[in-house]
Amino acid sequence: MDLTTVTIEWYIALSAILFTIGALGVLLRRDAIIIFMSVELMLNSANLLLVAFAHHLGDATGQVLVFFVMTVAAAEVAVGLALIVAIFQSKKSIDISEVNLLKG
Amino acid sequence: MESSFSALLTILMAIPLVGVLILLFMSDETEEGAQGIKIAANLVAAVALVFSIIIMISFDGTDPGLQFEDKFSWIPALGITYHMGIDGLSILFLGLTTFIMSLAIGASWNMITEQIKKYYIFLLLLETGMLGVFFAQDLFLFYIFWEFTLVPMYFLIGIWGGKDRVYASLKFFLYTMAGSLLMLLAILYMGIQAETFNLPELIAQNDLWVGNNWLFWGFAIAFAIKVPVFPFHSWLPDAHTQAPTAGSIILAGVLLKMGTYGFTRFNLPLFPEASVEAAPIIAVLAIIGIIYGAIVSFAQTDIKKLVAYSSISHLGFVMLGIFSLNEIGIQGAILQGVNHGLSTGALFFIVGFIYEQRHTRELSAFGGLWKSIPVFAVLSLVVSLSSMGLPGLNGFVGEFSILLGSMGSDALAVGGSRPWIYTAFATTGVILAAVYLMKMYQGVFMGPLDKEENANLREMNGGEMAIMLSFLIFIVWIGVNSQPWFAAMDATVADLVNTQIAPAIESITAIAGN
Amino acid sequence: MNAFGLAPLLLVFPMIGVIFNGWFGYRFVRADAKVGEKWAGFFSTGMALLSFVIAVLIWVSLLNDHHSHIIPLFDWFNIQGGLFRIQWAFQLDTLSSTMLLVITGVGSLIHIYAIGYMHGDKEFARFFSYLNLFLFFMIILVTGSSYLMLFVGWEGVGLCSFLLIGFWFDKPDGVGWANSMAARKAFVANRVGDFAMILAMCLTFWVFGTMDYEPVFESAIEMFKAGEEVVLPWGTYSLGAVLKWITFLFLVGAAGKSAQIPLFIWLPDAMAGPTPVSALIHAATMVTSGIYLITRSNVLFEIVRASGDSGHLFGNISTPDLVAIVGALTALYAGLVAFTQNDVKKVLAYSTVSQLGFMIAAVGMGSYIAGMFHLITHAFFKALLFMGSGSIIHGMEHGHHHLHDHHDDHHGDDHGEHPGEDHHDDFDPQDMRTMGGLRHKMPTTFWTYMVGSLALAGIFPLAGFWSKDEILATVADNPDQGAVFTFVGWTLTIAAFCTAFYMTRQVKMVFFGEGRHEAVEHVPESNGYMTFPLVVLAIAVIFAGAINFPKIEFGGGEQAYAGVLAAVAPAEEEEAGLIPTLALEHWLEHSIESYYLTNKADPPVLEMPHWPTTLNFRVAIQSSIIAIAAIVLGWLFYSGWSKEEPFAKDRLEAIPVVGSVWLFFQSLPFDRLMINGWVETIFKPMAALSERLDWDFWHDYVHNNLIRDSFISVADVLSNAVDPDGVDGVVNGTGKLIGAFSTQLRRIQTGNVGNYALSLFIGVTVLVVYFIFAS
Repeated sequence: MDLTTVTIEWYIALSAILFTIGALGVLLRRDAIIIFMSVELMLNSANLLLVAFAHHLGDATGQVLVFFVMTVAAAEVAVGLALIVAIFQSKKSIDISEVNLLKG
Repeated sequence: MESSFSALLTILMAIPLVGVLILLFMSDETEEGAQGIKIAANLVAAVALVFSIIIMISFDGTDPGLQFEDKFSWIPALGITYHMGIDGLSILFLGLTTFIMSLAIGASWNMITEQIKKYYIFLLLLETGMLGVFFAQDLFLFYIFWEFTLVPMYFLIGIWGGKDRVYASLKFFLYTMAGSLLMLLAILYMGIQAETFNLPELIAQNDLWVGNNWLFWGFAIAFAIKVPVFPFHSWLPDAHTQAPTAGSIILAGVLLKMGTYGFTRFNLPLFPEASVEAAPIIAVLAIIGIIYGAIVSFAQTDIKKLVAYSSISHLGFVMLGIFSLNEIGIQGAILQGVNHGLSTGALFFIVGFIYEQRHTRELSAFGGLWKSIPVFAVLSLVVSLSSMGLPGLNGFVGEFSILLGSMGSDALAVGGSRPWIYTAFATTGVILAAVYLMKMYQGVFMGPLDKEENANLREMNGGEMAIMLSFLIFIVWIGVNSQPWFAAMDATVADLVNTQIAPAIESITAIAGN
Repeated sequence: MNAFGLAPLLLVFPMIGVIFNGWFGYRFVRADAKVGEKWAGFFSTGMALLSFVIAVLIWVSLLNDHHSHIIPLFDWFNIQGGLFRIQWAFQLDTLSSTMLLVITGVGSLIHIYAIGYMHGDKEFARFFSYLNLFLFFMIILVTGSSYLMLFVGWEGVGLCSFLLIGFWFDKPDGVGWANSMAARKAFVANRVGDFAMILAMCLTFWVFGTMDYEPVFESAIEMFKAGEEVVLPWGTYSLGAVLKWITFLFLVGAAGKSAQIPLFIWLPDAMAGPTPVSALIHAATMVTSGIYLITRSNVLFEIVRASGDSGHLFGNISTPDLVAIVGALTALYAGLVAFTQNDVKKVLAYSTVSQLGFMIAAVGMGSYIAGMFHLITHAFFKALLFMGSGSIIHGMEHGHHHLHDHHDDHHGDDHGEHPGEDHHDDFDPQDMRTMGGLRHKMPTTFWTYMVGSLALAGIFPLAGFWSKDEILATVADNPDQGAVFTFVGWTLTIAAFCTAFYMTRQVKMVFFGEGRHEAVEHVPESNGYMTFPLVVLAIAVIFAGAINFPKIEFGGGEQAYAGVLAAVAPAEEEEAGLIPTLALEHWLEHSIESYYLTNKADPPVLEMPHWPTTLNFRVAIQSSIIAIAAIVLGWLFYSGWSKEEPFAKDRLEAIPVVGSVWLFFQSLPFDRLMINGWVETIFKPMAALSERLDWDFWHDYVHNNLIRDSFISVADVLSNAVDPDGVDGVVNGTGKLIGAFSTQLRRIQTGNVGNYALSLFIGVTVLVVYFIFAS
């Protein structure tokens, strides 16, 4: 195994690690901001993979898609942060375990 | 199916709806807001009136067919069309509706003080519904509008009515609704059989249901309840006496005319044979209505109820005219419908004006009002005279044409009976009209002014004067020069009589002769 | 150059008067009674006079051109499909012109009179606007060119009659209410006649296809000549059989308006109105419209007379015969009732009914000229008598007023009350029993009244003599017309006796003897507004006979045939004499088509009775003797009425058998029969019908009890028994099952976002694994 050449496998591995960190962050953390950041991490791992494959396959489509994902993520951040602020205003806390109004 | 879209009628119908939308965004919680709602409602009614006058002026009376048609397929799978149009049968009612609505909305200015916003919204909804009834040329569409008019009227009586308003409104609603069910059945039967609900197309194939008389009676009973023909009149005194003044004006002015209009629009062309066969029965009911309504009216001590019962008598004349089944009778009947709307509408306005100040309608509570409110008394006299058919005023024109038509009616002479007997009995209504209206007029306005409350009545203000004068202008105009009014419907009625009724009379006379 | 085009002005002027007085005069009088009254009174009098001027212009134009002229204005009805077209149009011919002159002429005089009579009334302007409105409708009535236009005026004058009878509707103590009841009664009784008019017009239309006079008469004559049958929707009839019903219905209409049996009961009550109204409407003009109608329709009546059997209503009585009989019976009955009245106006009212009977009898006998002649002279002398009676009442009021409040300065022209106003005691200014000796107090009124009553009694040479004589001569000149004419002749002769008798009674009670009430002492003569018309009319009454002097041919009744022949001869010949004879006849014959058809057509189409053209000496002497005998008898009977006992039994009542007859008539048997009899029998069941049948039975029982309650009880059973145990059991069972299941299910909804995210993650993982390994 040639460790000096960064092949596509490296990117896949990094992406998988980032995604796992993000997913675990979403599932395990209670702070809404952290969860939010974890979601961003998952999105960025997907972006990384897209760019890597685009380069590997010589097709620009993947790179274009990344721009879309980034735009959507920006919008998501705006909506999500607004929601968090709203929750904070009513609960004085951003601990999501306290937000359980949908409990049946 | 050929589409056409002149849009005028649809726009006219939409005007009150636009008014409803505007009113929805207004508030009646403050004094200024309430004022604004009143002004807006009056303006909308006035716009509709102006628009309808434009349509009436551009209407061509020599064309027997439908004009200003809006026509396209709506639910093609069932043969349902959106088809609006007017012809000689409906043109006068178009004007009557917008005219009476503007006056009724105007008359409500001082008389309604609670829940103003809802009140005007219901009035405007009612206007759309009534216009739809007179415009619809598709049975399905017609039925929708026919039932739609019940809803606002139900609330108008039920919310702003008198002491027994809930009882009266419920009775009105159920009675009319129940009557329409058989009509709905008949409509469905015909629509399925002919695979269309479009009225002109159904008329063209009206020999599909020759001999199927229950269809005729299905329509006839629905309309007879609305008119109301004796013995289906029992809802009317309740509804009229409990309704607010504007409601009574509209009820007498337009809603009852939907019944008589239905007879001319649907029963005669769709079932000419059945109409000829039924003519004697309906004419007899009409005459019973004329005499019975007048007699019962005479015995009333509540003046609003007296006027309500007089409607039964007057509409008996209209029914007799329609079922004379000749041009003079039918045209007289249509015009008499308009006349009744004007003079009885004005009578209800008079009653409302007095009631508003005295809070009683008992005849014995009045007397000598001529002395305290002379101008109002004189104008009321003219209205009463118009209602009792004084020549030179509108009531006579219609009444006389109807009596004349009934005497020369071929349909009533089928089988060797004598139409002049119908005429003679109907004419007694002329005497009786003088009896009961003079009783009312004398009781209210004549005699000594011996009650303190009556001496302090106020005269009409500018707005009320304008409403009375608007009624009176048409009362005198139609009375003196009825020719243009008849001219508007000449062609359509002649066409109806010649193409539908005359052959029917011939074939039935041939059967009766053999 | 003719004035026919001015006809619309006939209507414009009175209408201006109505509007002026209705709108401005009212305010003027309220602002300043003295000036306002001048404005209101003179303005409407001026309008009446302007109409009179137009009427004269039209008359002058007609003198040169006797033909009828139609002046159309615009369409009223036009139903093209039914070929029904009626125009607003004037028909100006000699008949309508004659009526116009009477209406506007006498009408103008009465306007002047009313300025004096109504002085001081708060509603002065309203009164004059009614008077002008009346003229408006009356002019429409006589100038209309079709039956329908006639009907406009016919109902219109009925309306004005209603308004004017009920003019004093606000008097206290039940008087005002009684006045308005009288007004209503008049209107409704007229409506009964109108009922027949409407039917007659409808029938006319379906027979002739039009309602215009000229086309109707022309086609009637054509059909009669050709013997055509009439095809109606319900069968085919001979012309006579149809026309007899049309004319019968016209008779009923005329009976309503002209107060004939059985519809006359409203006219005596109509005296509740102010006296000028009685003079104008209920004596001179409106009540004669029945005579006008029959004269106008003379062709139809004469065709019925000539149709033989098919024109017979029952037995061998044809409609014209029935007209004559009704007229004669009314003349007699009303004449007898007039004996028994003590109210000065009621006597005149019944006298009017009686005289209208004379006219109706005349036109029924085909003597249209005699009827119209009597109509004109009667308009003069009855207007005169009514205005005289008004003057008397006015005087008695003044006298009583003077007596009542002892303030000398409070009488004369500035008294603030209208005549007839109550003083809250039992004094009745119209009761003849309290009068007497007024001839010294009111000389002008007395002399003019004498002229009028002698004319009414038929004393030579006053107008009434000539016109009444012509009616009676019609009977004598037609000996071949059978029993009906004989009957009518005798009845009218007796009625003529009655006329002279009751007028003598009245004059004696009012003017002669001594005053039977203190008020008489203070009676002043009426003012100039009131006496001027009296004098004018008295002069007219003296000379009015001249408008139709008969020719004097010695030899008597047998020469009547020669007279008829002479009338046929050219007009110039006759007018060569010193006094023109038969002026009215030559004038009116242009409008009476049946005259031509009888006398000038060759061969004659109709056979109408002969018109008397020469003075029938036998009749003249006979009726003069009867009249004088009645006057003498009346004078003797009513001499020396005691001053102490004014309310003693009437002289006739005191006589054994005659007294009971007198009492019978005083009780107004016919009115009682009509009002207490059938009106009661109709109204009671009417009330019961509406209360019991319509409200209690149909409204409450059937609708509220039968339909609503049975619906409610069915609904009750359904909702309380069937529904909870049956239908509801199934529904509720299902509901409970679902409820139990969902109670368990809701436990998994924790509301914790983490849990949701975890399940999402697990779900996605499972799906990914599935897709990877499934392929």
